[in-house]
Amino acid sequence: MKTLFFGIAVAAVAFTSCSDNNTQSKESAEKSSDTTQTNMQVNNTEEKKSKLSKEVIASYLQLKNALANDNAKGAATAGKAISDAIQQMDDGSLTAEQKKVYDDVKEDIKEHGEHISGNGDKIAHQREHFDMLSEGTYDLIKAIGSDQTLYKDYCPMYNDGKGANWLSEVKEIRNPYLGKKMPTCGSVKEEIK
Amino acid sequence: MSRLTKILLVLLPGVIAIQFIKPARNISGQVSEADITKRFNVPANVEGILNTSCSDCHSNNTRYPWYANIQPMGWLLANHIKEGKAELNFSEFGNYSGRRQLSKLKAIGNSVKDGSMPLSSYTLIHRNAKLSKENKVLIIEWAARAKDSLETN
Repeated sequence: MKTLFFGIAVAAVAFTSCSDNNTQSKESAEKSSDTTQTNMQVNNTEEKKSKLSKEVIASYLQLKNALANDNAKGAATAGKAISDAIQQMDDGSLTAEQKKVYDDVKEDIKEHGEHISGNGDKIAHQREHFDMLSEGTYDLIKAIGSDQTLYKDYCPMYNDGKGANWLSEVKEIRNPYLGKKMPTCGSVKEEIK
Repeated sequence: MSRLTKILLVLLPGVIAIQFIKPARNISGQVSEADITKRFNVPANVEGILNTSCSDCHSNNTRYPWYANIQPMGWLLANHIKEGKAELNFSEFGNYSGRRQLSKLKAIGNSVKDGSMPLSSYTLIHRNAKLSKENKVLIIEWAARAKDSLETN
């Protein structure tokens, strides 16, 4: 009898161990959706559109810079921000072509952001998701446009030599995949205006 | 009576009472149109591994162990399955956007490679779900092939 109860207790601990993260992030997601409500009251559609993609870009760059500085905690915060920003984008003002891209990447970017925010102690895992998130963000920005000049950079070493892209606001290379180990590894592939 | 026996006697009615609160079962009993096997080429050996090691938590068809009938184990399982399906559901795979399918296939390869999946708490009980070196390679290579087929389309 004693061993049975002990067995149940052990199994219970094992099964609950990975279930806590989600509820927390959902709560805070709800909280921050309030703030964008006010953001959306801008009347001019053009202005609204650029403002919305601006938030995605701003949080992406925040994430990129945190990873370049090997700052996993900062990356987690920014991951949450981009996950929120992509969901709160107002797709009503998008053209059919833009909407197609948005629908393709929306859930994906949201999930990568959540994973990055949920793994504030595992920077290698955050970078795996950042790689995929960067692809989606690039396609979205190509479709919707950006107010600020961005650079598409390429790191040939990441992914066991398969390489990976990222976006940057500055021309000089600050590698978010290799961080402080090799900060200047990589090259600019494209200038996005 | 020892102290432990007394404590157990006090807990017993509660333990019995919760046995009647049973979560709904995750058994659709069919292969959906959006199932990954209908959208991608999944060789029989790979499908076998997916079924044994992944599908209990990542599809709409769970093969329940006996202790799922005992609460609170049944609740814990239900919660686990819910979370697993939210992350990746082979039965709904075809409903994901192309981009998301790509990410999921990449994540399957990554998580098998780094050993984070299947969860150690799962393989602790389901010994046969533990992936051998050969099976890991099979899954990783299949996921990469499926990803390539998606990218070239």
